[in-house]
Amino acid sequence: MAKREIDLNIVDVENREMRLGSIISWDGSAEELVQNSRYEIRSRDKRKSVDGCAGKKEKGCRLCELNMPFNQQTMCSHSIVGCQVGNIPDCILIEHSPIGCSAIHARFNLGYKMGLARRGKKIENLQIFSTNLQENDMVFGASDKLRQTILDVQERFNPKAIFISMSCSTAIIGEDIESIADEMEDELGIPVIPLFCEGFRSKHWSTGFDISQHGIMRQIVNKNPIKQEDLINIIALWGTDYFTEILKPLGLRVNYMIDMASFDELAQASEAALTATFCHTLGSYMATALENEYGVPQVDAGQPYGLKGTDDWLRSIAKLMGKEDIIEDYIKSEHERVLPKIEELRKKLSGVKGFVATGSSYAHGMISVIRELGILVDGSIVFHHDPVYDSGKAEQDTLKDLIDTYGNIDHFTVSKTQQFQFYGLLKRVDPDFIIIRHNGLAPLAAKIGIPAFAMGDEHFPVGYDGIIRVGEALIEILARKKFGQVLQRHVKLPYSDWWLSQEDPFILAKHPEILDEIVSEDSTVAEIGVETVIKPEKKVSKSKKATAKSKSA
Amino acid sequence: MTEINQSIQSNTIVHPRYGCAIGAVNTVAAIPRGIPIANCGPGCADKQYFMLSFSNGFQGAGYSGGGAVPSSNVGENEIVFGGHKKLDELIKASLKIMDGDIFVVLTGCAVELIGDDVGAIVKEYQQKGYPVVHAEAAGFKGNNLVGHETVVKAIVDQYVGEYKGRKKKGLINLWFDVPYYHANWRGNNIELKRVLEGAGFKVNILFGSESAGTSEWKEIPKAQFNLVVSPWVGLDIAQHLEAKYKQPFLHVPIIPIGEEATTEFIRNVVAFAGIDNKKAEDFIKVEAERYYYFLEHFSEFFSEYWFGLPARFVSVGEAAYNLAITKYLTDQIGLIPAKQIITDNTPEKHRNNIRELFHGISDEFPLDVEFIEDGYLIEQQVKNVDYGSSVPLILGSSWESDVAKELNGLLIPISTPIVSEVVINRTYVGYTGALTLLEKIYSETVRG
Repeated sequence: MAKREIDLNIVDVENREMRLGSIISWDGSAEELVQNSRYEIRSRDKRKSVDGCAGKKEKGCRLCELNMPFNQQTMCSHSIVGCQVGNIPDCILIEHSPIGCSAIHARFNLGYKMGLARRGKKIENLQIFSTNLQENDMVFGASDKLRQTILDVQERFNPKAIFISMSCSTAIIGEDIESIADEMEDELGIPVIPLFCEGFRSKHWSTGFDISQHGIMRQIVNKNPIKQEDLINIIALWGTDYFTEILKPLGLRVNYMIDMASFDELAQASEAALTATFCHTLGSYMATALENEYGVPQVDAGQPYGLKGTDDWLRSIAKLMGKEDIIEDYIKSEHERVLPKIEELRKKLSGVKGFVATGSSYAHGMISVIRELGILVDGSIVFHHDPVYDSGKAEQDTLKDLIDTYGNIDHFTVSKTQQFQFYGLLKRVDPDFIIIRHNGLAPLAAKIGIPAFAMGDEHFPVGYDGIIRVGEALIEILARKKFGQVLQRHVKLPYSDWWLSQEDPFILAKHPEILDEIVSEDSTVAEIGVETVIKPEKKVSKSKKATAKSKSA
Repeated sequence: MTEINQSIQSNTIVHPRYGCAIGAVNTVAAIPRGIPIANCGPGCADKQYFMLSFSNGFQGAGYSGGGAVPSSNVGENEIVFGGHKKLDELIKASLKIMDGDIFVVLTGCAVELIGDDVGAIVKEYQQKGYPVVHAEAAGFKGNNLVGHETVVKAIVDQYVGEYKGRKKKGLINLWFDVPYYHANWRGNNIELKRVLEGAGFKVNILFGSESAGTSEWKEIPKAQFNLVVSPWVGLDIAQHLEAKYKQPFLHVPIIPIGEEATTEFIRNVVAFAGIDNKKAEDFIKVEAERYYYFLEHFSEFFSEYWFGLPARFVSVGEAAYNLAITKYLTDQIGLIPAKQIITDNTPEKHRNNIRELFHGISDEFPLDVEFIEDGYLIEQQVKNVDYGSSVPLILGSSWESDVAKELNGLLIPISTPIVSEVVINRTYVGYTGALTLLEKIYSETVRG
């Protein structure tokens, strides 16, 4: 076991695909993915992560991308940076880019305001600025506009820190945001933090989490920490504050990061007794940086989902806090408290099949929770896969933990919100519902009669009570099948019959030549423009639906 | 009233109210069975979806929008070595996987800057007979309104093609709302088409539920004329069509709201077309009677409500609906326009004309019109208006929520982005829409 070196002296962050060997396109069983990820080997030798696993088919590598010639629009690292450092109330993010890169702010504002409400903070609109670049700026450079916007921000808000995010266009024209940040930091006397998060840079948006955390570690986190022995960093997003209650018996105060945290709350990260997270995909980089740099330990466990996951997670925290004496009683009483209700839910949900489509290690936790409820899961999607996390800790290998505890998942797919593949992936296992984060996929599920539980509050499934919360919500979600069935009867999907009849959603990665054969045929030309009759999609087996419905009633 | 020095408006924008040119993927997706192909970085089309569809009345993106949009999602490899191969594969695969009638490649900032010759790639498909079009839609070239015009012209030139035949009298190409940009565009299209058909016309509506798709686009050159119902968006398209197909156009800058404006609109269009007005007048009679049946009922509330009605209003939004709604509320309801802020980055050459149109709305009240895109300055302006003795009425976007709260005012969403309402088929235009607008404003009023 070895941690990743995180060099806080340099402004750049190495991409996940280079640092961890992350992939975005893969299909197989969860067991195969665990074997091929070779977590322990990778954690020992970084080169093993990179060699052959950044999309190159090299000798000895078995975790290769299934490169598809077709992709649909997704999210980028720049967006992630926006919804991370753009959500700090007393700091301001400037997006150095044309206005289109800022077009998602109204959506971020929804999450931000909800988050402020959940954390009991003053609810105000998000303030992310754009330098609003034009064609001339692409030719002559835009440094003066960046300086102007920095000054506007300073005058209007007097923030505690300013972040600057690079976009595709400003990266290509070579804007030197690092020098301008240095210059303005001297002028203004507050941290001005450049973030190199241009969208084309990494094949997966989650690199944006690392970039945000890297900037905070370098320029905000207190470099001369005074230990706060009862403080626990929870690297989170916008979720409801369930952690305070879960951790109260251990005498811990929660310091949530990054979203909605103030400058001071971020600065004190180095003073905490330990760091944990609801999702290692999100938190591993910062947790490891805090551990390496300031000796703040991170949990030696997976994530707090399901009974065993929560038990292990609490035990690990108790051990780090020297509270092993009380933890077993706490766990025992919690089990006694929640088990009767979980049993009840298991009965109601018996025979129901679920499908999870979320970010990487969060999916592992989510599947644990629904399996804890007795729900069958034989297929799921992660939007990318990290074969190892920055901590390199074997205890944090959440996918291995999942299959060791609850068994294999026959169809476990890595696919970056690719709606066209989602159809085949759902048909392959025919679930009664999906649990989903990110956009783009759930509408397709609805159109083939499968209701979606949009897991907007990511802390919802956390801990012992999370199991109950999820079970109860699912009963309500299953009732929405009605709506999906109406759509299924009347609404057509935007995909060709040829594509919808493919059994393997990765066929084109394995046989790209199919496209040449088919497109060169004249018949295809003739097909285009012919009016298409609306055909309802093949219906999901009726008997199974009836079962699910009667259970949810 | 505090005046803010306009010279402090810099390049800076906070709280954006439009997307960029690549947002026109939504223009393509609004054509039935039209498939946009976003030739840009990952994240570009996603962000535009959130501005124009999700955070804009949660409209949904329909058949081929949202998560269905094919994209080259260019990465470092393409930036360094060029994206030709990836785009070629993507187009080929899109033709096979997506079930559509027209495919439009929109090229964004990153690909434009590295200088890929997208036209050459697309041309090969065009020569083989595939309905593929390309359009330059780099975000640094303009916003989604400019992108919309660019895409429409590209489709006309590369897909609709040449036409030298006869025109069909009474057939109109309607250039009206930019799809998805105004949250009510779908309902607006239904109402304006209904009005024009009621008056005896046939209408190529081209987008949304009432469009026949590509077959209708092929009819564009056959139309008697182009009708632009908008202060500036679409003029460029009409001028292009005038040159290309020798098709005249009628420009109606103020979208008709209410009986008097809609009736006048119909009579103008009928006169321009030179068609017999019998059908139009019969239609007007029925519509007017119905409108005033409802207005009479509404007037009882309006004249007898004890608990306060708003009087002075500010409007913040795109030129088109800011102008149309300001006119209706001032001229037909008797509200007092206090400040009008246009946020759509109207091109300089159209601004004076728009100022004149605002000034023409009322002899009684001077209309104070400003063009501002930076949310901070907009909110300062809204805050500093004198709202008199009544509850402040703010017609704007959801970004005005903080200032509306501070003023204890009523916020009626009329412009992008809108996150406080789910919009399906609603309209505020024409005969029926005006009544819905009244319903909306006064429901908020009585809710308090």
